[in-house]
Amino acid sequence: MPLDPTLHADDLRAWYGSMPVTSRYTVGPAGERFFRAMKDAARILGTRCGRCNLTYVPGRLFCERCFDELTDWTEVGPSGTIEAVTVVHLDLDGALLEPPVLMALVRLDGADTVLYHRLSGVDVADAKIGLRVEAAFRRLEDRTGSILDISHFRPAG
Amino acid sequence: MSMRRVAVVGAGMTRFVRRAMETPKELAWHASRMALDSCGLTLNDVGGVCIGSAPDAFDGVHMKGEYLSDGSGAWGKPVMRSYVGGGTGVFLGPHGWYHVASGLFDVVLVVAEEKMSSFYPHAQAAFLTIFDHTTERPLEPNLLWIFALEMNRYMQTYGISKRDIAQVAVKNKRNAADHPCAMLGEANITVEDVLNSEVLAWPVQRLDVSPVSDGAVAIVMAAEGVAERITDRPVWVQGVGWNLDTAYWTNRDLAYPEYVERAARMAYEMAGVREPRKEIHVVEPYDPFDYKELHHLEGLLLADRGKAPELTAQGVTARNGAMPVCPSGGLLGVGNPITAAGLMKVAELFWQLRGEAGARQVPGTPERGLAQAWGDLMQVGTVTILGTQRPS
Ligand SMILES: [Zn+2]
Repeated sequence: MPLDPTLHADDLRAWYGSMPVTSRYTVGPAGERFFRAMKDAARILGTRCGRCNLTYVPGRLFCERCFDELTDWTEVGPSGTIEAVTVVHLDLDGALLEPPVLMALVRLDGADTVLYHRLSGVDVADAKIGLRVEAAFRRLEDRTGSILDISHFRPAG
Repeated sequence: MSMRRVAVVGAGMTRFVRRAMETPKELAWHASRMALDSCGLTLNDVGGVCIGSAPDAFDGVHMKGEYLSDGSGAWGKPVMRSYVGGGTGVFLGPHGWYHVASGLFDVVLVVAEEKMSSFYPHAQAAFLTIFDHTTERPLEPNLLWIFALEMNRYMQTYGISKRDIAQVAVKNKRNAADHPCAMLGEANITVEDVLNSEVLAWPVQRLDVSPVSDGAVAIVMAAEGVAERITDRPVWVQGVGWNLDTAYWTNRDLAYPEYVERAARMAYEMAGVREPRKEIHVVEPYDPFDYKELHHLEGLLLADRGKAPELTAQGVTARNGAMPVCPSGGLLGVGNPITAAGLMKVAELFWQLRGEAGARQVPGTPERGLAQAWGDLMQVGTVTILGTQRPS
């Protein structure tokens, strides 16, 4: 029957296929500078657009608003403020996360944009917009030049 | 048609390279910025943005139009991405034209980007999943194999030799030696070099095929009344056309691209072109393989069926010939970052018709040019006709 809602996939001639994709990404010229500073010196760099009066983090090659090339690099953070936060209770397969995982948007001091990252070391009840936090870096020997060189954000101080 | 006339007023392109350090959006920004700078505009002058890119799989971002948007100047603007496979770059002609001709936008930025080097280990694998999952994918086809089937069919139908076809690769790679953005310009390449190159899938050999590439191209399109204020030499969109053959690529006429003819006829009618062989002065047909340039010249009605190789042999399609074909160097010579390569052809017409093509400039004063691309599962034809004369 067309569009019969009672059919089960197992009763049909069906099979599993995949669309395998492996990509090798580059970080680009701005990314090289941003990730090298994070890996080598645990510093977080932004680029500043003087025309738009905006500091982008991570540092970008160009300003999306005025299209200027951005060459004015500036250090931001490592402290900042929570702009949004959620408490994740189920993983992608529906399994219970124990303890739950906190994901947040952090506006680093000196930045006009936010970073999406993990938040930990804080009670769920205290995970609120406005909370002051700081970046927790991995140890130098464990840093690879990845956004995960910041292990997570934790309450400041 | 009560549409506004539309002109191309600026163009820019990055070098085409094997492996770019820049991210896809940075490539798009370079080309977009060059296109705006070329006509003295800024993002404030741009009303809307048209983005073209081929499969998301290449750049490894499954939302590529949105991903490219900031590099394409689309912050805070209406933006639309189109995708008809390899045909997308020239489809950006109609795409951008529509945006302006409709009256919705006075100025649009039209951007094409591809970063094929992201796909690991080789971009061909991105094409494994474009085929029918029931009847074809179990046989693990790839594009080289199916184009080898088509090339062989074309050769046997008309009695065309490999040597006839290799002349196209030689012509285009030599032309590309004069292109500052080209990847595979070879001033001294010979037919023997092509015939002696590695066999990939008979009759396709290494030098019959364009390379995997990274790059971006952008153009600026503007409405009548606005275009003339931006530049004293607007290049007008005189005709656009596109057409799709059957979704079953196996059931197409492999010796003759009907869908290209239908797309061309649509564009010729709009442009008022009755005798294309006399009225088209410079041609940029899609040449991802050397035989495809010939195939497409026939579909565009610029050569009789099976006779395009004779035009090449006689030098008619040389840069200084009576009908220059791929004076840019084409995909075979400049490179093939899929969508960007198609829009490169439109940009080449813009430069040729303004006399700005430098060492690539065709002789005389060409008044009308045609760019064409081909794609999806080798079943879509896209055509853009540009000219120095404002359409009546
Ligand atoms: Zn700015």
